[in-house]
Amino acid sequence: MTTRRTFEILLGLLPIALVLGAWQALSASGLAPPSLLPAPHAVFARLVEQLGHPSFLRHAATTLWRLFAGFGIAVVIGVTAGVAATGSRTVEALLKPVVRVLAPVPKIALYPAFILILGFEHASKIALVAADATFPILLATYQGTSAVEPKLVWSALAAGTPRRKALFTVVLPAALPSVLTGCRIGLVISCIVVFLAEMITSADGLGHLLVYAARSFETVDMFVPLITISLLGLSLNAGFNALQRRLLIGFPEQG
Amino acid sequence: MSVRLAAVPGLPPLLACCGLLALWEIAARIFDISGLPPAHQALRELPAILGDRGSVLNILDSLRRMGLGFALALLAAIPVGLAMGRSRLVAAFFNPLLMTIYPVPKAALMPIIMLWLGVGDASKTLVIFLGVSLPVIYHSYQGARAVEEKLLWSAAAMGMAAPRRLTHVVLPAALPEIFVGVRTGLVLALITMVTSEMIARQAGIGNILFNSLDMALYDAVYATIVIVGILGFALDVGLERLRSWLVGWATPVHEMAVGTA
Repeated sequence: MTTRRTFEILLGLLPIALVLGAWQALSASGLAPPSLLPAPHAVFARLVEQLGHPSFLRHAATTLWRLFAGFGIAVVIGVTAGVAATGSRTVEALLKPVVRVLAPVPKIALYPAFILILGFEHASKIALVAADATFPILLATYQGTSAVEPKLVWSALAAGTPRRKALFTVVLPAALPSVLTGCRIGLVISCIVVFLAEMITSADGLGHLLVYAARSFETVDMFVPLITISLLGLSLNAGFNALQRRLLIGFPEQG
Repeated sequence: MSVRLAAVPGLPPLLACCGLLALWEIAARIFDISGLPPAHQALRELPAILGDRGSVLNILDSLRRMGLGFALALLAAIPVGLAMGRSRLVAAFFNPLLMTIYPVPKAALMPIIMLWLGVGDASKTLVIFLGVSLPVIYHSYQGARAVEEKLLWSAAAMGMAAPRRLTHVVLPAALPEIFVGVRTGLVLALITMVTSEMIARQAGIGNILFNSLDMALYDAVYATIVIVGILGFALDVGLERLRSWLVGWATPVHEMAVGTA
């Protein structure tokens, strides 16, 4: 079994190695000039160099701040609205059609409106991140809370817990696996959206660095912010997974 | 009361649209800033944009690119996902690579791909293809993995060969789950389409949006947003119709997949 496991891990590393190998071969063979496709070692050397650079880190910090501000707003709105929709028939009837209409709308199209209302600075980007991340969190919370075993709620109500309190002390914790999954999806979406917003209009942040490098045809510097944001997304995703596992000790295994 | 109203198909979303427009109108009147024109003013711009030959051609061009990228992604992603679901080795081969690509903002590849393929259709279509592929692969994989083994055994016992089992048993059985991925993919296709055009700023509906913004035609900006919104909603409704027609036998667990947004 363990040898099979190692074999599968090695097999999984193969395509990644193939991609890197093809990249290296393309740039080494001279088929692709360095101005179009820089060698992988040049990109990674530059990445390491940049990570020690205060100005690069400042851009990354700006991106992170926008990301977490938007994500935080999305969590608060998404979880509250999701729980409220489960708790009240009226809220559910009001919210469901609105979500049905708004969820498939590409939120990035709202970005110009956010710019016009909130300006070019942080606020419009944070609003866009929040708009994009809210829906997966809301849907996951709603689906999770409405699937909670009703007997749990009945017991709490029979024991004298007020209905509203039971919603937050019984229903929400019981729906935690689903809520956290929604949050994890929302987090990766936030990561992607904040970068795109910065690429479209910005004077700082990682997305701006990519566009800036593209304008001056500094190919190596185009790859660096892109790899940084992807690594950021990967590590946030992994970190959230670890957190989820810690918080969900005792819950049945999720498919 | 609310239950009976909800029973009329299409009515709740329609009411929701009216509600949202009313909210917008009220907010615009309260805040009274030039950046937020009232709803009726923006909606009055709609006929002007939809009547303009150039804009309509731009929008149709965008949709053509999106359709092409979307179709190519389905053709490539569904077989890969099904193969992953039926073979542990194939799954082990692709999974780490897909997990690594998952958090890469696909539309952000636009400037790099533009260096290689130019600003034309090819780079935009490729970006859309990349954006759509991942969710479709993922859901096809999950769908194929969950196929009832007994179905496959019965088919095998009746002498159906492996390739035929894949197309005649696995594919239909996984279809409801595949549709979840396709629906997510369709929304992503629209997002990548608009974003890539906002970044490349050369043609398409994303370009109209930012050109109007640059020229301070705020009504036109909002009207274009409404058009994109209607496109998103209409495509989603269309796909949902197709789903219930093709796989109406499988009621979805949830009306909307979490990954949709």
